[in-house]
Amino acid sequence: MKFLVIEDEESLRRSVIKYLTDEGNVCDWSSSFREADEKMMLYDYDCIILDLGLPDGEGLKLLQQLRKSNKTDGVLIVSARNALDQKLEGLRLGADDYLTKPFHLSELYARAQAIIRRKSFQGNDTVRFGEIEVDTVAKTVHVSGRELYLTRKEFDLLLYFIVNKNKVVPKSAAITHIWGDEADMADSFDFIYTHIKNLRKKLSDAGSRDYFHSVYGVGYKFTDG
Amino acid sequence: MKLLSSYNRMLAIVACSGMVVIGILFYQTLSRYLNRQIDDYLYEELLEVRDFAHVRNIVPAPEGFTDVVVEYKRVARLRNAKYRFHDTVFYNPRKKRTESGRYLQTDVKLADIPYQVTIIASKVESEEQVKSIVLIILIPLGILFFLLWLVNRFLMKKMWAPFMRLVENIRQFSLGQEQAYTPVETRIEEFRVLNDALAEVEKKIRSDYREVKLFTENASHEMMTPLAVINSKLDTMLQSENLGIEGSILITDLYKATSRLTRLNQSLLLLVKIGSQPLTDLEMIDLEQLLTEKLNYFQELIQRRKLNVSLQTAPASIYGSYSLVEILLNNLISNAIRHNTEGGALRISLSGKQLQVYNTSHSGPLDSSKIFDRFYKDSTSEGTGLGLAILKEICEKLGYKISYFWRDHLHCFELEFSEESTPTHTGQS
Repeated sequence: MKFLVIEDEESLRRSVIKYLTDEGNVCDWSSSFREADEKMMLYDYDCIILDLGLPDGEGLKLLQQLRKSNKTDGVLIVSARNALDQKLEGLRLGADDYLTKPFHLSELYARAQAIIRRKSFQGNDTVRFGEIEVDTVAKTVHVSGRELYLTRKEFDLLLYFIVNKNKVVPKSAAITHIWGDEADMADSFDFIYTHIKNLRKKLSDAGSRDYFHSVYGVGYKFTDG
Repeated sequence: MKLLSSYNRMLAIVACSGMVVIGILFYQTLSRYLNRQIDDYLYEELLEVRDFAHVRNIVPAPEGFTDVVVEYKRVARLRNAKYRFHDTVFYNPRKKRTESGRYLQTDVKLADIPYQVTIIASKVESEEQVKSIVLIILIPLGILFFLLWLVNRFLMKKMWAPFMRLVENIRQFSLGQEQAYTPVETRIEEFRVLNDALAEVEKKIRSDYREVKLFTENASHEMMTPLAVINSKLDTMLQSENLGIEGSILITDLYKATSRLTRLNQSLLLLVKIGSQPLTDLEMIDLEQLLTEKLNYFQELIQRRKLNVSLQTAPASIYGSYSLVEILLNNLISNAIRHNTEGGALRISLSGKQLQVYNTSHSGPLDSSKIFDRFYKDSTSEGTGLGLAILKEICEKLGYKISYFWRDHLHCFELEFSEESTPTHTGQS
C-alpha cells in the first residue's frame, strides 16, 4: 500500500512512517501545505493521513482541492481538535475517517486499513491470517472454512489484532478501540484480558492455532512466529 | 437606609426645627410689639386718671373707662413714681370672666393722697391677633414644606429609576449566558456615565472570559500533539525485541500517565465547551432506553467489580441536548462504578423527572459543598477531579438540579430535570 503522511510534527511523523513501513507499506510524507498539495496532485495514494493543523494552511483546504480534482484517495484526518463540527465538516468535505490526537499507532493503522478496504474495488473485504478468514462487510469469521460465532466486541478485537499482526498492541489501544475514547477505563487496563481469553478459547475450539502472545502484561501480539 | 429617605429625613428635621424657631421668634416679636401698644394705651389711661384728679378733682376717677379696670389703693406715702408694666390674669367684670391682661401700676398722688393705681387692660384680643397672624404665616409654610417633600419623593423616585434598572442589570449579569447587556436610556448625565461604564466593564469581562476560555482551549489542544508524540513513541518502543519485563512495566506506567493526562485535557476542553457553545442537538431523549444502553456499555466494568446492580425505571423522556445528557449519564454511572467497593451495590432509580444513582463506597459522607468544585477529589482517586464539575456544568447549562446526599451508608446523586426541559419551553435556548 502507498501512504502519504502529511504532518508537521516531525517526531510524530517519524513514528507513523516507521509503523507503516514496518508493515511493508510505501510511505511518502510532507510537512507543509504546499508540498502536500503538490504530491497529492502528482501521485495517487491508497490512503492519505492528513493533519489539519499545518503551519502554512488549513488542512481542510487540501482535502477540498483533492476532491475537486476528482481524486479518490482515501483520507484519514488526524486532528488535535475533538470538536464535533470540525469532524462533521471534514467528513462532509470527503474525508473517510477522523482520528483525534493523541492516538495509538495501531488504531491509526486499523482505521487506514479499513479505509483502504472500503475504497478498493476488487471486493477486498476479506482479511486473512493463517486459517482465519474475516469478512469485514458481512462481519463473519471462518476458521478453516467453518463459521465461528463471535460477539461484536470479540469480532472487532480479532480484526484489530489481525490488521496489526506481528505488532505489539498495547492494552490501552485495544480498550480504546472497543469502548471508545470516553471509556475512562485507564485504571482498569486488565479487563481486556477477559475478552482476549474468551476469544482465544473460541478460536482454539474452532481448531485455530493460538496466535495471541502476551507481552509482559503491556499488550498482546498477534503472530504466528 | 435609602439615599432618598436619608435625604428626606434631613430635610424634614431642618424644615421642622426651622419652622419652630421662626414661629417662636415671630411670636415673640409680635407679642412684644402688641404689648407695647397696650402699654401706650395704659399710659394714656393713666394720664386720663390724673386728668380727672387734677383738672376735675374727682378722686378716684369714676368708672367711666370702657376697656380697662382701674383700681385704687391708698398707700401711706409715695414710694416711687415708676411705671411698672406686667402681664397678669384678672377678673373682667364686664365680660364676667377671668382673662389674661396687662397692667400698669404706679403710685400717684391724687388730691394729695397717695394712691397706688393699677390699670388693667385685657390682652385677649391682641393675643388672638398674634395667634392668627402666626398661624397665617406658619400654616402655608407647613403646607409648602409638605408639598416640597411630596414632590421630592416622587421626583426622586422617578429620577432614580434608571439607577435601579442599572442595578437590576448588574444583578442579572451572568457570564454563562451570552445575553448581551441591555443599556438603560436616561437623560441624567451621571446615570449615563454609569451606564456607559457598566457596558464597558461588561464588554471587558466578557472578552477577558472569552480569552481565558480560548486560552484553556488552545492550551489543551496544543498539548494534544506532544501527547500524540509520546503515545506514538511508546507504541514504537513497545515493538522493540529486547524490551524485557522492566521496560514493560515502565511503559505500562507511562501509558497510564499519558492516558490520564489525555483525559484531563479532554475534560478541560469539555468544561470549556459546555460553557461556551450553544446547544445544537436538542431532541426528545428516552431516558429509560439511554440508561439501559449505558449500563450495557459499562457491563464489563460492573462485572469486573462484581457489583450488584438494581435498576428501577419508569418511562421518562426529557427534551435536551443528546450529547450532554449522554455525558451526564456516563459520568454519573462511571463514578458510581469507580468509587464503589468490590461486590458493592449500584442502585439506579428513574421516576418521572428524577434520577437517583446510589452506590456503596469505602468513604463516608462527602462534603456536598465542595464535591462539585474543580479538582476536588480524595487522594486515592485515579480520576481527573473534573467529573463532578462537568456534571454540574452540564446541569447548569441544561437547567437541571443536581444534589448529593448520604443515606443508609450510600452515596446518592440526585438529578432533577426541570419543567423547562419540555419541548414547549426550550425551543429558543
